[in-house]
Amino acid sequence: MQYKSQAVAKPYFIAAIGLFIGQILFGLILGLQYVVGDFMFPEIPFNVARMVHTNLLIVWLLFGFMGSAYYLVPEEAERELHSPGLAILMFWIFLVAGALTVLGYLLVPYSGLAQMTGNHLLPTMGREFLEQPTITKVGIVIVALAFLYNVGMTVLKGRKTVVSLVLLIGLLGLALLFLFAFYNPDNLAKDKYYWWWVVHLWVEGVWELILGAILAFVLIKTTGVDREVIEKWLYVIIAMALITGIVGTGHHFYWIGAPEYWQWWGSIFSALEPLPFFMMTVFAFNMVNRRRRNHPNKAAVLWALGTAVMAFLGAGVWGFMHTLSPVNYYTHGSQITAAHGHMAFYGAYVMIVLTMISYAMPILRGRQAANSNLSQVVEMWSFWLMTVSMVFITLFLTGAGILQVYMQRYSTDPLPFMVVQEKIALFYWMREVAGLVFLIGLITYVASFFVGGRQPEPKATAMPEPAAG
Amino acid sequence: MPRSAELTAGAGLAITAESLYLINLLLAPGIGFLALLWLWTRGHALAPPLAAAHLSQTMSASLWAGILLVPASGLILLLGDHRSPGVWAVVIVYFTVCHAALVLCGALGLAKALAGQCWRFPLVGRPLPAGCNTRG
Repeated sequence: MQYKSQAVAKPYFIAAIGLFIGQILFGLILGLQYVVGDFMFPEIPFNVARMVHTNLLIVWLLFGFMGSAYYLVPEEAERELHSPGLAILMFWIFLVAGALTVLGYLLVPYSGLAQMTGNHLLPTMGREFLEQPTITKVGIVIVALAFLYNVGMTVLKGRKTVVSLVLLIGLLGLALLFLFAFYNPDNLAKDKYYWWWVVHLWVEGVWELILGAILAFVLIKTTGVDREVIEKWLYVIIAMALITGIVGTGHHFYWIGAPEYWQWWGSIFSALEPLPFFMMTVFAFNMVNRRRRNHPNKAAVLWALGTAVMAFLGAGVWGFMHTLSPVNYYTHGSQITAAHGHMAFYGAYVMIVLTMISYAMPILRGRQAANSNLSQVVEMWSFWLMTVSMVFITLFLTGAGILQVYMQRYSTDPLPFMVVQEKIALFYWMREVAGLVFLIGLITYVASFFVGGRQPEPKATAMPEPAAG
Repeated sequence: MPRSAELTAGAGLAITAESLYLINLLLAPGIGFLALLWLWTRGHALAPPLAAAHLSQTMSASLWAGILLVPASGLILLLGDHRSPGVWAVVIVYFTVCHAALVLCGALGLAKALAGQCWRFPLVGRPLPAGCNTRG
């Protein structure tokens, strides 16, 4: 580890993995509730399980992003973190607030939670993904501000690189856009309109900057390719992400009562949204092809390449599938959306956080650059188990979605929602099995931290001369 | 010519071939293929190994893509009942997976071409010519 203060990233990564496990367990409960409707009812009703599943995802990704920033920024800025103590304090505040919120979801009826936390003073609750009590949202803002101050001061006082500036812009955007979570107009169309400014502009806007910066950092470190080359790619990728992603918000405005021109703007710009992800794939593979050394941490390189491919498939291909307005007219809010959501979140954001953890954790745990071969083999098994099972989850949900759209919305004799749900139950069962395999992959991933600890790490090797043949 | 320069000669042609393959799949089906065909007829015999390899790979993969995407999808609809939602589920998932896999192979091929290296498409690619740089 080049800078002592990078160590603050470690608890963030551990918390992220812990919450990730929680998210997957609730995902499995939810998956089963699709086919066994009263499973765990009334202890964990479907709406609560869904809320915990999605909220845990957001919170653990935020932990992952913060940990990544705390690891990456000192190294890029070539100086210690401005205040490691503040980073640790914010870690505990965020963790306790997050845990209390989830306990609140699980132990108190949602309306009661709203009453207990004084939602009537500034009503912000009751909206998908932004279900957190207002007081938790205030806590998130405080943590985000302290985090930005800490990271920002480190960058400002140290070396400024494209990677750290892109990351900082992404994190700043993340914090600023979250403020729209406090705007809750009575008009439902307006409410939805600005709600997307948080949800869409996070995942299809500023989070892509964070993704790009972390990917660039890991590729600089593992391939030895000139920073300038990687930075040029990063500029183009984030420019494309913002150009397509900002106006692409329009694909959420088709049916909420917004003006009709969004049908065109949303369709055209969001059809271009796969471009930055496509470029990211070419970028990642090109850098690895041009690498100057074989980095001993092969698992981190695998995660980095996997991120690019899965983000392209999940966010790019599966996003495009239902983004054009005439298609979305039928597919909106169906299982096709769920298929896209699962693969896009996994490919773009889960995998980039795991990439960073894979790269940084061996160093944070006192190794030179990588875990032992045994540990890496187990980690790579977890990569394939989780990634392949996510592909199957996506395919099963896609199949379910197509049938749902056809029978419920496209057919000349449409069937009621619940009748269709029964007809596609087989797909939900297959999705659940794939989900169990995902859990096995996750357990394997956790196990990789506990095996081969005493074995030596592999050494970096220089790349051989180009071979003809 | 230095050995490294010899190995990357034809990189421009290789990149163009991979780009046209992707254009055919993503932006201008048919037109991209015709442009690739024109490039292939002009260049494949005389081009340096890197360019010859990418031209031959993209040509072969484009022909396979045509078969896998159009007649095969049509056949599924023809053999199944095109009024059945199940058949549509199969054909849409098949087309999406096939198309995405072909695009992904093109992206990897483009990355290889940009790095001045040869690339053999999995399953649908032809054997690489002698003298190809296969580093990495």
